[in-house]
Amino acid sequence: MRASLSDIRAWFGKGTPWIWLQASAVSFSLVLLGGLLVLIAVRGLSHFWPAPLEEWVVRDGQGTQTVLVGQVHRSEWVDAGRLREAGVVVPADIDRVRRHLLKTGNRDLTGRDFTWVLDPDIQARTRPDSLLVLERSQWGVFFGRLAGIREDGVLQDLSGHPWASLTQRVRRAASLRERIATLENKDLASVNYRVNRLERDRQALIDAAAPDQLADALIDLEAERITLQAEFDGYAAELESLYVEINRDSLLMTTPGGEEVEAPMGVVLDAWRPNHMATAEKLGHYLGKLWSFLSDAPREANTEGGIFPALFGTVLMVVLMSLFVTPLGVIAAVYLREYATQGWLTQLIRISVNNLAGVPSIVYGVFGLGFFIYFIGGGIDRLLFSESLPTPTFGTGGLFWASLTLALLTLPVVIVSTEEGLSRIPRSVREGSLALGATRWETLWRTILPMATPGIMTGVILAVARAAGEVAPLMLVGVVKLAPALPLDGDFPFLHLERKFMHLGFHIYDVGFQSPNVEASRPLVYATALLLVAITLVLNLTAVAIRNRLRERYRSLEAQ
Amino acid sequence: MSEAHLNQSPDPAATDDAAVDEHGEVATSPVPDMDVPQPAAPDPACQLRVRDLNLWYGDQQALKHVDLAIERNRVTSFIGPSGCGKTTLLRCFNRLNDLVPDCQVAGDIELEGESIFREDIDITQLRRDVGMVFQRPNPFPKSIYENVAYGLRVQGINKRRHLDDAVEWALKAAALWDEVKERLDDSGLSLSGGQQQRLVIARAIAVQPRVILLDEPCSALDPISTLKVEELIQQLREHYTIVVVTHNMQQAARVSDKTAFMYLGEVIEYGDTDELFTNPQAKATEDYITGRYG
Repeated sequence: MRASLSDIRAWFGKGTPWIWLQASAVSFSLVLLGGLLVLIAVRGLSHFWPAPLEEWVVRDGQGTQTVLVGQVHRSEWVDAGRLREAGVVVPADIDRVRRHLLKTGNRDLTGRDFTWVLDPDIQARTRPDSLLVLERSQWGVFFGRLAGIREDGVLQDLSGHPWASLTQRVRRAASLRERIATLENKDLASVNYRVNRLERDRQALIDAAAPDQLADALIDLEAERITLQAEFDGYAAELESLYVEINRDSLLMTTPGGEEVEAPMGVVLDAWRPNHMATAEKLGHYLGKLWSFLSDAPREANTEGGIFPALFGTVLMVVLMSLFVTPLGVIAAVYLREYATQGWLTQLIRISVNNLAGVPSIVYGVFGLGFFIYFIGGGIDRLLFSESLPTPTFGTGGLFWASLTLALLTLPVVIVSTEEGLSRIPRSVREGSLALGATRWETLWRTILPMATPGIMTGVILAVARAAGEVAPLMLVGVVKLAPALPLDGDFPFLHLERKFMHLGFHIYDVGFQSPNVEASRPLVYATALLLVAITLVLNLTAVAIRNRLRERYRSLEAQ
Repeated sequence: MSEAHLNQSPDPAATDDAAVDEHGEVATSPVPDMDVPQPAAPDPACQLRVRDLNLWYGDQQALKHVDLAIERNRVTSFIGPSGCGKTTLLRCFNRLNDLVPDCQVAGDIELEGESIFREDIDITQLRRDVGMVFQRPNPFPKSIYENVAYGLRVQGINKRRHLDDAVEWALKAAALWDEVKERLDDSGLSLSGGQQQRLVIARAIAVQPRVILLDEPCSALDPISTLKVEELIQQLREHYTIVVVTHNMQQAARVSDKTAFMYLGEVIEYGDTDELFTNPQAKATEDYITGRYG
């Protein structure tokens, strides 16, 4: 007994249990992280796979028989007693019953996307090849069968290859739709933008110009306006004819219930037969859907479609934030470490900087709103954009203010790690430079700063990681649910810092918790979350790679 | 080979530049010189004159009443136990102690008759005149070429041809040219310790100093590299005044013409090296060189 006690003591004395403790803490964190990523990835990525369509004949407790077509969303066991309490008729002899959540689509006809079906009620389950999924620009997906195709209102002869004819028409509609999108989002938007600017110029002219020059200038502006109007009319006419073109065809569809409905081609985005597809075909479809998730704009209050504007807005905001925070943080850190006399004041400043990193981010949002937007932005509007008041230009949330607010939020991180990088540089290098007749500034510029870049990069990495995931302050300073235009386009000055933008973090919140159709959009939330994690990872890895390359160069010196 | 190069003027641009600097000094120097009581005509053989130098780090006095005359084109070594103030004294000559907070100096040092503590002194010019090599090789994390060219670039000399000439000359003078001429673009940190130290010496002489300070230049080197650096010191003394701090008495005996023994911030004894080592006047010197302490 005594011997074993001393054995245990020796075991403790050697430190073995602490190593085990540390190892298990590390593995616990890794498992948590890995589990989270796997969960998000599986839930998010499986959404784009063409799930099989099932046709069920269901007879419910009252004896009514219906035919349902859909995809099994999830299945669960429930207590039969609970269902009986809720008024569902369940056979008397069972305690637990399995039920399925079936995604039935056809929201325009049934008013809902999902139906619960009790397993005992199902009379027959089949997966007919003829079942079809239509992806539509409104009302979500449609499940059913193709009954016919009309061209210019005339029913087509489909005896040969109905499916080939359908896909060819879908492709035609897609290319027309692309043309429409270019017209609406690029050409017409550009004309609109220029018309607005013209109006602003006109207002400015009326406010400022001398009366004798005013008339001439106004005539010039009017001429310009007429050209723009002509351009607008041209585009509008083209758009109208395109809409007529795209709606030339319409699809006659049979619903699972047996009714016949007509879907104009203008609303049909894509059509596929999940039960008929081979695996390779499914894979191609999957990759296509994944790509359109990344590259398309959201539809139907963000519950369908892609997330490109949010992706773009997030990356652009993070890049701008880095551009703001890096010089500011580096300059501050250099002053603190290299020039300021070290004493209680610098110590106090350091403590304050460290504490700033702990301020809740929403506080930065409020500060950004009050100081940047209302005070500075309002000032800019009064000085430079007074002609468009009371509509604010910079006096409202926008990309610029959001980037600045986040730059402020991440400033402490950059200052701290830059200071750390500066303090790691051996004194001998500074003295070597000074002893050659370099001034402190030359020493700093030619030697110290290049050597401190790994430290600076560390700060930027941490700043990027924090900024990419931040949501709360952004809601106050310029992120919106749906931005009408990207902040970067072909109209001078190309980068529109005053525009509102979309952000992945906010998108997750909006789709997941503010959407009218939470169940349907849940996979999108997972996919968006996965993307946000991936972006943060990519931005981080890039910065880490740059840092490691720099560090390699200075390694032998730091080892001293 | 390097001898031949040492004898010729290195680089027309560098000399031009020096002339401009001298001109600038001529324009500014007469005014303060009128006020300052002129010391007895400076001894032409004396490059650095230390007069009653005291130095404090905070409350602690690190140098006490140091008086020394360091001769031109000679190698002078400072020996003494650790903490005796050798390095502190050395770092006074190019005013590198200015960087140390709470460092206070009383007394004076003259470089060729001019005080280096004058109000109007151009400290960067002083540091160009008085080059320094440190205990550990400290090349910059740049190419070999850029390391040597650093001092010149800082002066605003960026013409490639001038830099090429000056770099080649300095590397030859530091007996490193043959080893690195094929890889001037490699990092200075890729060299061995001894080569790094000679690179740093090349860097120091590229700016044409008058005095070179060496702070325990061989303490981080192996015996063969040490030998090379010592040979180099012997060559360089023809053109430069050299001050070496060393804790290695054999080294002091080998390389230096004059030796100062310091102890607790004071210069105990200063004289010809042979004399000091064979016939020390002070008891403390004798104890130290015979190895009784230190």
